Amino acid sequence: MARKVTRKKRRKTGGRQSSPRRKSTARRRHARGDGGRFRRWFRQVPWKKLFAGLAVLLVLYVGYLDYRIRSQFEGKRWALPAHVYARPLELREDFPLPAARFERELELLGYRLAYDTREPGTYNRQHRRFRLHTRGFAFWDDDEPARQVEVRFHDGRVDALIDVETQRALSLLRLDPMYIGGIYPDQHEDRLLIRLDEAPEVLVRGLIAVEDRRFYEHWGVNPSAIARALWANLRAGATVQGGSTLTQQLVKNFFLSNARTLWRKGNEAIMAVLLELHYDKDEILEAYLNEVYLGQQGKRAIHGFGLAARFYFDRPLAQLDNAELATLIALVQGPALYDPRRHPQRLRKRRDLVLNILAEQGVLSRAAAREAMAQNLSVVRRPSRGITPYPAFMDMVRRQLRQSYAKRDLTSEGLRIFTTLDPLVQSDVEDALRKQLRRLDRARGLGGKLEGAALVTSTTGGELLAAVGGREVRFAGFNRALDARRQVGSLVKPVVYLTALMERPGTTLVSPVSDTPIRIQGPNGDIWSPQNYNKVSHGVVPLYVALTRSYNQATVRLGMQVGVDRVVAMLRRLGLPRDVPAYPALLLGSQTLSPLEVTQIYQTFAAEGFRSPVTAIREVLTAEGEPLQRYPLDVAPAVDPLQVRILNSALREVMRHGTGANAVNWFPDAAGFAGKTGTTNDLRDSWFAGFGREHLMVVWLGADDNRSIGLTGASGALAVWSDAMARMGGPPLDPLGGEQLVLRWVEPVSGRRVGASCPEAAQLAFLPGTEPQEAGRCPSREDADWTERAMDWLRGLLD
Amino acid sequence: MVLLRQAGLRLWGALILLTMLAGCVTNPARDGFAPGGEAAGGTVIAPRRGTSAAVLDLLERARAASRRGELHKAEALLERAIRIEPKNPVLWHYMAKVHLHRGRARRAAGLAARSNSLAGDDATLRADNWRIIAHARQAMGDPAGARAAQARAAQLAGDR
Repeated sequence: MARKVTRKKRRKTGGRQSSPRRKSTARRRHARGDGGRFRRWFRQVPWKKLFAGLAVLLVLYVGYLDYRIRSQFEGKRWALPAHVYARPLELREDFPLPAARFERELELLGYRLAYDTREPGTYNRQHRRFRLHTRGFAFWDDDEPARQVEVRFHDGRVDALIDVETQRALSLLRLDPMYIGGIYPDQHEDRLLIRLDEAPEVLVRGLIAVEDRRFYEHWGVNPSAIARALWANLRAGATVQGGSTLTQQLVKNFFLSNARTLWRKGNEAIMAVLLELHYDKDEILEAYLNEVYLGQQGKRAIHGFGLAARFYFDRPLAQLDNAELATLIALVQGPALYDPRRHPQRLRKRRDLVLNILAEQGVLSRAAAREAMAQNLSVVRRPSRGITPYPAFMDMVRRQLRQSYAKRDLTSEGLRIFTTLDPLVQSDVEDALRKQLRRLDRARGLGGKLEGAALVTSTTGGELLAAVGGREVRFAGFNRALDARRQVGSLVKPVVYLTALMERPGTTLVSPVSDTPIRIQGPNGDIWSPQNYNKVSHGVVPLYVALTRSYNQATVRLGMQVGVDRVVAMLRRLGLPRDVPAYPALLLGSQTLSPLEVTQIYQTFAAEGFRSPVTAIREVLTAEGEPLQRYPLDVAPAVDPLQVRILNSALREVMRHGTGANAVNWFPDAAGFAGKTGTTNDLRDSWFAGFGREHLMVVWLGADDNRSIGLTGASGALAVWSDAMARMGGPPLDPLGGEQLVLRWVEPVSGRRVGASCPEAAQLAFLPGTEPQEAGRCPSREDADWTERAMDWLRGLLD
Repeated sequence: MVLLRQAGLRLWGALILLTMLAGCVTNPARDGFAPGGEAAGGTVIAPRRGTSAAVLDLLERARAASRRGELHKAEALLERAIRIEPKNPVLWHYMAKVHLHRGRARRAAGLAARSNSLAGDDATLRADNWRIIAHARQAMGDPAGARAAQARAAQLAGDR
């Protein structure tokens, strides 16, 4: 150290002495000519200083490059999003599932039709007999091995489930759950990150074989490859071959510029070496798999093989076959040059070249390569837009997770989230909503303004099976299913009637209630006098008739008798998560609720008085598969089950003789279900909520600008509900149970007992001792309610 | 895992202690859904006739997991069974028991009540559900409620 300092000092003093010496050199210049001048200049340059300075600069520069490349790499590497899965399909003997539906599940899971089912993920079908080779899945509670099974169907049910190897019947078989998306950071990183150990082997080995054979040996750059490429390019007079290693390509992708300057190349080479110094080969390879540029959709760049698999084949990477993997490897060279949608021939040639290399390098057998070459490109024509096909459902998952997890953990810890989504039910709902919205929009001349949302839950534990947030089902925009708060209209009426049944002693479904004009004075002197939908008052009617035909005046009268605050309290008991003001208009549904909130309330009806929070998640696992959190079945007794069964017997009647009777047009079994229509002032909102034994579905239709859509609950939402329910094929409600309740057939004029054969009769439930005793006379259709029928006829004309 | 098991046993221990303090609260039936150390007595609630092979298989696995002290696994397996046969009151009853052993008194009481709402005239099952509710209420600090539930259980057991 000391020596260095002295040397520096000496140099400095030398510097000061330089002016007298210059004189003498000037003299010498004349004497020795130009060569001497150069030598003199050369000697004059302070080389040591210069080199030291340059070295410092270089070190600083390399340090800067090191900082840049490391921050890029770290920033990407730790962002491992949560992986989200749908429910696994659980097969067992006698499980109600038509063969066509089973095949749809296999298609959604990406099982391939194959003559023999040697490989996992393949199946074949002969009529109602399937043979499939399951992929197997490591569920946390139990490992499900990959195996060959035969599944036979009969009469819309699984008839037999046989393990092919052992020829023994299986009591249960869980298919692998469908991957439905990831949860990504807010900057909307549009990427489907994969881990190296999840990447198909053919892809990884193939990439190395085609792009960088010495990947596991070099230090980030491969001089011999560069030399070879240079030679090839010189001979061809153009760039035909690249000598970049995968590491260099990764660096290039990090900084996204295509300028081929020497300066850039040099930088890339330095950064590649730096990367190799800091990280091991597998880390670099994993980053490469997720970073490489593979396509363009308008302004959206497609990075990484995970997203590319979705973009080109609309399937997860793990489900691609050899030909498809080779196609992706082929695209690395130039996604624009080989754009499969523009230059399919060119791409196919390159894919076959890749397949040849894979065979040469022993990645694939000759036969497998030949087989793959015979395949078409099979690129989907229209790429899906988002990173999940189920944006409304994923939105619900995300919100539920945020209650317990920090955003950072969700987007970086690689959590595995097992949800309740049933992809089959989801597609039923999507199809029904799309079809009916198109039809209704056209019929009402709404010019595409008609919007809709729908939710389906399992009645057992409130598991969310499907969610659609708008007519563009794949578009992750405004999620109406969760966020559109709209007036609910008559959907609130069952709550009013349940309150009356429970809190007014002696009230039964046939108690007389007066449907006559009513005036209510508000606190500021306003007079409110609600009208019926058809502007007709019906006089004294049995309670259930007022509910099933949705009479406003009777409902308000009843609600005022029990007290609006009691109705609000009942809403809360049933599961409404917030307080709402107790105005009389609430009795007719002036309160705005979201479809999710309505679902929560009706869930308690469908579960016969037991409240379960609507949930979209079953469990959260760590990236290593250890359970982190479960969302166990949660049922709490909310309302007396007997009273809810009584109410439900009236909600069944809605589907038989009430406002839901039209459902049979789309859904022949509708009479076995229970439900309620909802319509708001000026026909702005059309609602329907209805349930069978397994499924509850809530549908809302309306326009975002709150204009009139000209649809009642019965003419709008009910159509969507019935269409979707018919597709789902879920079972109707069990026949009304007798135990602890008394069942009676009654007629709608006076609520007296009649025979079951009376066409207008309703079967209703009563607490023992409160059932009607007096026998009545089966009314003719005219007596039953001529005014209502006349209005129905008139409405039919208007529809 | 070990931690979970220890927690389960500790909670169970606490419940037994509570039971002894309460004096009058008897234990629910012994049917495999306990991590061990259960006091003798009571009847065994068996799966109903007509329970499907798939559900019986899941019950067997759940019972095995429960015996190993892996109550969270038993819980998940029972949930699968309930999804297959949601109207089978015995499954809800087992589930209530597992939750009781896991120290989730409120949930256990809810599940036992659900089982009761599906149990029809099965007095044995209903009595045992009331015992679970009694335990749960005791654990939630409601001794009067626990006594009332215990009385229902005794009445139903007497009816039998």
